[in-house]
Order: sequence, then structure tokens, then C-alpha cells
Amino acid sequence: MKMPLTFMLNNQQTTLEVDARQTLLEVLRNQGGMTSVHRSCEEGECGACTVLLNEEPVNACLVLAASVQGATVMTSEGLVKNGKPHPLMKAFTDELGIQCGFCTPGMLMNAYALINRAGDNLLTDQVIRKTLEGNLCRCTGYVNIIKSVHTAQKAKLAGEWW
Amino acid sequence: MPDYSAGNNAMKNSVMKNFIGSRAMPDLVYHSPKEMKDLLALVDAHGTSARVVAGCTDFIPSVRTGRWCFDQELNLIDISKMPVLNEIEKTDDVLKIGAGVSLTRILESPEVKAHCPVLAQAVEQMASLQVRNTATMGGNICMASPAADTVPPLLVSEAWVVIRDAGGEHKVLLTDFFTGPGRSVLTRGQVLTHICIPVKKSNEAAWFQKIGTRTAVIISVVSAAVRVSVNNGICETARISLGSVAPTPVRVSEAEQFLAGKPLDDQVIAECARMAAHAISPISDLRSSKEYRKDVAQTLVKRSILACREALK
Repeated sequence: MKMPLTFMLNNQQTTLEVDARQTLLEVLRNQGGMTSVHRSCEEGECGACTVLLNEEPVNACLVLAASVQGATVMTSEGLVKNGKPHPLMKAFTDELGIQCGFCTPGMLMNAYALINRAGDNLLTDQVIRKTLEGNLCRCTGYVNIIKSVHTAQKAKLAGEWW
Repeated sequence: MPDYSAGNNAMKNSVMKNFIGSRAMPDLVYHSPKEMKDLLALVDAHGTSARVVAGCTDFIPSVRTGRWCFDQELNLIDISKMPVLNEIEKTDDVLKIGAGVSLTRILESPEVKAHCPVLAQAVEQMASLQVRNTATMGGNICMASPAADTVPPLLVSEAWVVIRDAGGEHKVLLTDFFTGPGRSVLTRGQVLTHICIPVKKSNEAAWFQKIGTRTAVIISVVSAAVRVSVNNGICETARISLGSVAPTPVRVSEAEQFLAGKPLDDQVIAECARMAAHAISPISDLRSSKEYRKDVAQTLVKRSILACREALK
């Protein structure tokens, strides 16, 4: 069944023609042009397709596009402002929390939500590990990713954040 | 009318059997009712072509991997946006959780933490944050997986589910709900709407433990939940439940009866755990062997009772 789907995509009101059987992952990549949402396992194991749905991280591969009618969706394209990378992205590159980059968009979205949720409370390694448990990375061994999240939080507390 | 229910269709037994990979989704019509009467009307109107879903985190992989095949248009009825099924309420001695409540909300709910902490303990170990944000406990129960992690805590808490259909509201004890792997007493035209849990009393403690092939985002090899009530150092009642060791999550009543009326000393606990492992006959599958499951079940029951004893000190 074809249907129009209207939702907020990276702060822009977007209307796309979708099929009811499409997942949010397929719609974001194919109709929405958000190719940072990576397609990998398609069963919620790897987290490469993580996006923020109403500010909470979800696996886009496990969400039916039809169900996001009227919702707010944010992908890692939405982190970039005026062509400038987000401080979170900068932290990932500075701390080498990125190697091949396949898992990175998902990591970024999950970490972004985590840092925003944490407010002024400093994140511990344990909390970061528990939160990122659904994002697989096969390159970095996670150590630098956790470092990156710490660095990003410091940047947020220093006021460089949007 | 052919039967398109899980595990019973011609396609699965023919060419699709050995196909590994991502299948196309069937044609879908998406419905998102807001009121209970709309939901019941939809379920009634679409009969066998209707599927009730909430988080879709099990539905989509089940279709993609071919566990479920449909050769007709499917009416998907999403209950996750129904306000009446999205509440956690506490009345006098019952905690009532709507079938559309996400696992994250259960985990963060102060009511659940105060009145059924063992459930929060299990939910914390389930899947990943991304899945918990959309998956629901109603869905976990309706999928009737022997490895469903919310079920052992609910079984030991003596929970029941509320089922709605055209005939009204029915209450079914969770012990009577499951009939086999992926099967339950739920029939076409019925919707599970709420899960009701008697609240924890002050002389009670409960514990959940699971073992998988890793700690995060993993299906249980064995899971165990225990609830004991203690009076003057003597165990009054015990409830022991195991997951992933039988076609459905089970209670082990021999071990429960053994523990009742006895002091919770190391010897009694060890014997009770031995009886629990003796009562089950798990199968070997790709996750584990039956021998390993029996050994682990014994250890988990022992550790869980010890943890309850510690909590009651």
C-alpha cells in the first residue's frame, strides 16, 4: 500500500511517498537520501542503522516507516551545522574512535542521545559501554570510541555543542 | 482457508527452507488505532489477515528470515500508539502494565522498581538500548519464545494477562498462557492488552539471572527467576522458573515445594537447585547442549536463591 509519510527529518518537515512494507531504514536511504544510515544485519544486532526517533535511539531496520507518521527523526547528517562537523564528530576523529567508519553514524547517534540525556553528570566507562552495547564495531576494539564519548562530553560541558 | 500461522505453511517446507538472507516484506496495510473499540473492530474485520504488533522488533526479522511467510496482503495493526495501552498503573496490590509500554519505560519506571524489581532486572539484560526503546513486554509474551526473558520473572511473580476480544475481557494466568514454542492460548480476534503483576511484599525477595554466549544483546542459553517469602528464617513459599529449557518457560514445582517450610541454608539451597535441574529436560540446539543447559540451570537457581537470601538479610 502506497501512502504519504510526513515527519520531521533533521529539523525539516518532510513528506515522502512510501510503501507500507518499507522500513524506516529503506525510506531514509532510498527516498530520504540519508545514506549515513547504514544497512547491515537488518535484525537489530549491529546498530549500524541507529537513528533518533523522537530523540531516542532506535534501529531504523526494525521500525516500519508507516509508524513514524508525525514523529521526529534525526540521522547523523543532522549533526552537521553550516557545513561544520559537530563537536561529537570531531571527538571521534581526534580520538581515533573511527576506522573504517561503517559503524560510526550509528555510534554517533547513540552517543549523541546519551550525552544529551546525561546533562551535567559525567559519564562513566561502564555507562558508555552499557549504552553502546547494541552498536558493533569490528575495527577499534571500542577503547577509542569510549574515549571519544568522554571527550565529546567534555566539549559539551565546555559549551561547544548544538 | 489455509493456515498461515507461524511454522505451518507450504512455502517454508519447500524452496524457501534453505534460503538464508533477507526476504521481501509481504504487502502490508498499516493500521494505527487509537481507541480500544477501533482496535477490536479492526481485529474483527480482518480475521486471518490481521496481525497485531507493537514494537515490530520481532515481527520484521521473523518475516525477513522466512520464519513467517504470508502469501496474501497483511493487515498490520499497530497498538503501540494507543494511549490506553501505554500506561503503567499501580492499584492496591497489583501493578498493571499496558501491552504497548516499551521495555525502556518498564526499566525506568519507579513503580516497577518499587513493586516488581525482578522484572526491571530482567529487562535490563535484554537486547540493546535501541531495541528496548521500541520492543514491548506484551510482544515478548505474545511471541511465546521459550527464551523470552520477561517471562520467568512474571511467572515467579504469579502474573496474569488480560485478553480482549469481541466477547469482553478475559484474565489468563501466565502459567496457563503458553502452549508451545511460538504458541499460546491467544486465538484470532483476541488481543493481549495488559499484564498484571501482584506487588512484592516486604518479606519477599526475587532474583533473575541469565546466561548467554555473551553478556550483551544475546538470547538466553538458560534464564532463571526465583521468588521466596521468608518468615523467621524459614522459607514460606518459593517460586522457581526457568527459561530456554523446555518448549515454554516453565515453573519447577517439585523444587518449589521442597524449599517451602525449610530454612534457607546452603545445603537446602543446593538440594533445591539439584531438584530444579533434575525436573527439566532441555534440548540441544545451536546455542547450547542439553547437558550444559542442565548444569547451568542448577547453578543459576542456586545463585538466585542465594541472592534472595542475601537481599532478605
